[in-house]
Amino acid sequence: MDKLDLPQGTLDLLILKAVSLKPEHGWAISERIHQVSRATLQIPQGSLYPALHRLERRGWIKATWGASENNRRAKYYELTRTGRKQLDAETDAWKRLTSAVGLVLEMA
Amino acid sequence: MISDLLYRLRALVRRGAMERELDDELRFHLERETEKLIRMGMSRDDATRQARLAFGGVERIKDDARDARGIALLDTVAQDLRYAARGLRAKPGFTTAVVLTLGLGLGANAAMFGLVDRLMFRSPEYLRDVERVHRVYLQFTTRDKESTDNSFEYTRFLDLTRWTTSFDATAAFAQRTLAIGSGEDARETPVGTVSATYFNFFDAHPALGRFFAASEDTTPAGAPVVILSYGFWQARYAGSPAVLGKTIQIDRTTFTIIGVAPEDFAGITDAAPPAMWIPITTFAGVVHAGESQHSYYKNYNWGWLQMLVRRKPHVSVVQATADLTNAYRRSVVAEAALDHSTPHLESSRPRALAGPVQFQRGPLAGRDGRIITWVSGVSLIVLLIACANVANLMLARALRRRREIALRIALGVRRSRLLAQLLTESILLGSLGGVAGIVIAEGGSRILKSVFLRDEASLGVVTDWRTLGFCAAVALTAGVLTGLAPALQAGRGDVALALKSGAREGTYQRSRLRAALLVLQGTLAVVLLVGAGLFVRSLRNVRALRIGYDVDPVLVVYHQLRGTSLTNEQQAVLARRLEERVRAIPGVETATRSLTLPFWDSWSVGLYVAGIDSVRRLGRFSLQGGSPTFFRAMGTRVVRGRGITAEDTKNAPPVMVVSEAMARTLWPGRDAIGQCIRVGADTMPCTTVVGIAENIKARSLTEDTGLDYYLPIEQFHPENANLIVRVHGDARDYVETVRRTLQAEMPGNAYVTTNAMREVIGPQERSWQSGATMFVAFSALALVLAAIGLYGVIAFDVAQRTQELGVRIALGAQVGDVLRLIVGAGLRFAVVGVAVGIAIALLASRFVTPLLFGVSARDPVVFGAVGVVLVVVATVASGIPAWRATRVDPNTALRAE
Repeated sequence: MDKLDLPQGTLDLLILKAVSLKPEHGWAISERIHQVSRATLQIPQGSLYPALHRLERRGWIKATWGASENNRRAKYYELTRTGRKQLDAETDAWKRLTSAVGLVLEMA
Repeated sequence: MISDLLYRLRALVRRGAMERELDDELRFHLERETEKLIRMGMSRDDATRQARLAFGGVERIKDDARDARGIALLDTVAQDLRYAARGLRAKPGFTTAVVLTLGLGLGANAAMFGLVDRLMFRSPEYLRDVERVHRVYLQFTTRDKESTDNSFEYTRFLDLTRWTTSFDATAAFAQRTLAIGSGEDARETPVGTVSATYFNFFDAHPALGRFFAASEDTTPAGAPVVILSYGFWQARYAGSPAVLGKTIQIDRTTFTIIGVAPEDFAGITDAAPPAMWIPITTFAGVVHAGESQHSYYKNYNWGWLQMLVRRKPHVSVVQATADLTNAYRRSVVAEAALDHSTPHLESSRPRALAGPVQFQRGPLAGRDGRIITWVSGVSLIVLLIACANVANLMLARALRRRREIALRIALGVRRSRLLAQLLTESILLGSLGGVAGIVIAEGGSRILKSVFLRDEASLGVVTDWRTLGFCAAVALTAGVLTGLAPALQAGRGDVALALKSGAREGTYQRSRLRAALLVLQGTLAVVLLVGAGLFVRSLRNVRALRIGYDVDPVLVVYHQLRGTSLTNEQQAVLARRLEERVRAIPGVETATRSLTLPFWDSWSVGLYVAGIDSVRRLGRFSLQGGSPTFFRAMGTRVVRGRGITAEDTKNAPPVMVVSEAMARTLWPGRDAIGQCIRVGADTMPCTTVVGIAENIKARSLTEDTGLDYYLPIEQFHPENANLIVRVHGDARDYVETVRRTLQAEMPGNAYVTTNAMREVIGPQERSWQSGATMFVAFSALALVLAAIGLYGVIAFDVAQRTQELGVRIALGAQVGDVLRLIVGAGLRFAVVGVAVGIAIALLASRFVTPLLFGVSARDPVVFGAVGVVLVVVATVASGIPAWRATRVDPNTALRAE
């Protein structure tokens, strides 16, 4: 299947969603999105870390250093309370947007 | 929001730790990616390369991450500053050259700005509602020529006050030099004579006592009260509060001190700030009384003061001018009722206008003001040259750093970051240059002051916030401008190519921008040098001007009776005695009594000639009276007829000598000798013209109409005589001897003042002198800067081409060939610069013409000389590095890499 470019502004939403279940480090976040989207979405690696730092600055995720699966020091990001609210709001907005776009496209 | 701020703050404080964390985080990512690829079956090497490729430039990601952290700006600025400072310290030669060049350019400009600001833009200290305050100027037409004037008769001032409604305040002011104190202490001191309303124009409170009350400023004569300046109070009375109520002698009147003006208060003055102020009606009615000015507040004979008005808040300047013009026309009608020779409104078309408070911005701004404007333009050009120079140095440096820069771009540093870094460096340089500039300006403004300002007013740059601000702004702009070009050029270009090339190989290439900057410098230097040449020739022409009398061997003497009352007869006797006494001084060739002194005062009375309706309408004819020795003492040639002789006594038939210009004006095409003029009134007996003298310049060196006539002093007011003395040699050596000898003859409080004619003429030449001095100074500076610029670029080129030159020499090139090659390159710039500069100077010639004298603005001698000078300088500037190039050892050059 072809890879798709991420639409503008969706990177933040995907990252928030990816860390909403449990704390994850950067590489795992990008892998996870890649897998879950069945290899359709590929996060441009150059934008991942700046995005993580931006979200951290906004206070939506917070970072802690922990041991990784193979027992190396890694930086884990997890969702904060405001981050969760933001995720809910953005998810909602995204759903409404896609269904609206879908309606228009299916117009007879 | 708060968390955001905290985060940024933490990011800033823990910058080092966070950088390390970022490194760790990115390294971890790469490792995991590599592991994944190995697991998928790649070799370790391939996996590492693949992971890095997918990841992109690490440096760029770090940059973006830093940006995301929000400390980017602060952080990078601090980082860039440290980086720039390190770079500059590492190259002290380059740094010094740039800072000095900028310093010279900025210093010259800051000093000029201080002066221009003071003369043109700054409003006087303490003046309030500045935007509503105006000086009033009068315009009228004589013989189809409109002229502007700002001297008012007191009556005119009253008319324009009472017949206007646009103003909530008006004031009259004038400045006089009067003898203060008595006996040996007596000193001539500038005194302000002002109406009581004058102080209402200022937000000033007396340091002591009070200002004038309206009751102290009344016609016919005001009260003998005086307000001291703060400086005079400190100097003469050591700031004692007991000074109020004390008396001081001004001229021959005793005044009571009623107040002290606040510190730095100078009122509105175009000359040295006054040491004290007296009511204007006290001056006119008391100090100046007895010189037939009894009804100065009723007639229109004595124009001596200036008028100040403040518009009501809702009145526009146009309305104010219309209102003033109406009042002025009414006033001219009132004058005509008293004096029938007043020209009619239809022909004189009088207008009054509300002009700017700053004299040098007004319609009467002198040559000084115009020259200052020009010189400011010139100093800006010098700054441009300095900037071009610095830009060139920076470009050369950027070229030298191409590999370093290419390397950093390859590592993923964004070009915008690179630009910011280079700009930071040039702004830092600009700031250093600004500091150097302030130091240089501090010295320069002292020189400027001595050239342009007479008064002792301070013109310190460091204490003047406006000038400092100007300097800072220009320094920063210069920094950005000079940094921009090299920064942009550095950001371009092929990275791979730059990386592959060696330190020297391929790096020699001409930059079109650098060539343009060199040509620009040459062009500007040519323009300035042409200006300097034209001004120097003007000054020489003014100096060589035949002004109709000799200057160096002549000195002038005037005396003031100051309270010593003598009858007219006694005054005439005194004057005759002084003339005889001064002739007896060894070294004095001859002396004459004279009614007026050149550039000091002039006298004119009504003239009546048969067949001419109104002589006054033909121009202003100045009267002079002298002894039989007059023409010999002055050195003025009598071209036809005879001069004044001993036979022209009081009872002999009245005669006069007229100037050639006067003869031509009154009797065109006819012989003036034998003609009859009635002097003073048309009922007077005929005064017969017996001689024609060459024209003299007694009021303006370059614009004098030369309408003068000479009466035997024994026939006309022998009591009003001053002295003109002719000596063998330089009159300046006799000033003190003459003063002491004559002072011994003076009765009572009377005193004499002596002046060498050279000192009197000096100020008249001053604007020529200052224009020439400043243009020469600035153009020399421009030439030096341009030469340094050319030298720097050629030297850099030679260094870049060492290898190529080595090859040439190895292949048998002679010294002459190498010299020709390099000097030729330098000369090409110079020749193009000369051509463009001369073209610009020719275009600008129209605008300088009014400032020149006796030399065409397209003078071929000046243009030719400038071209030669520039070519010679360019040859020397490129010859030095060229000569060094010929000494390149081909062996060393070829092996080096």
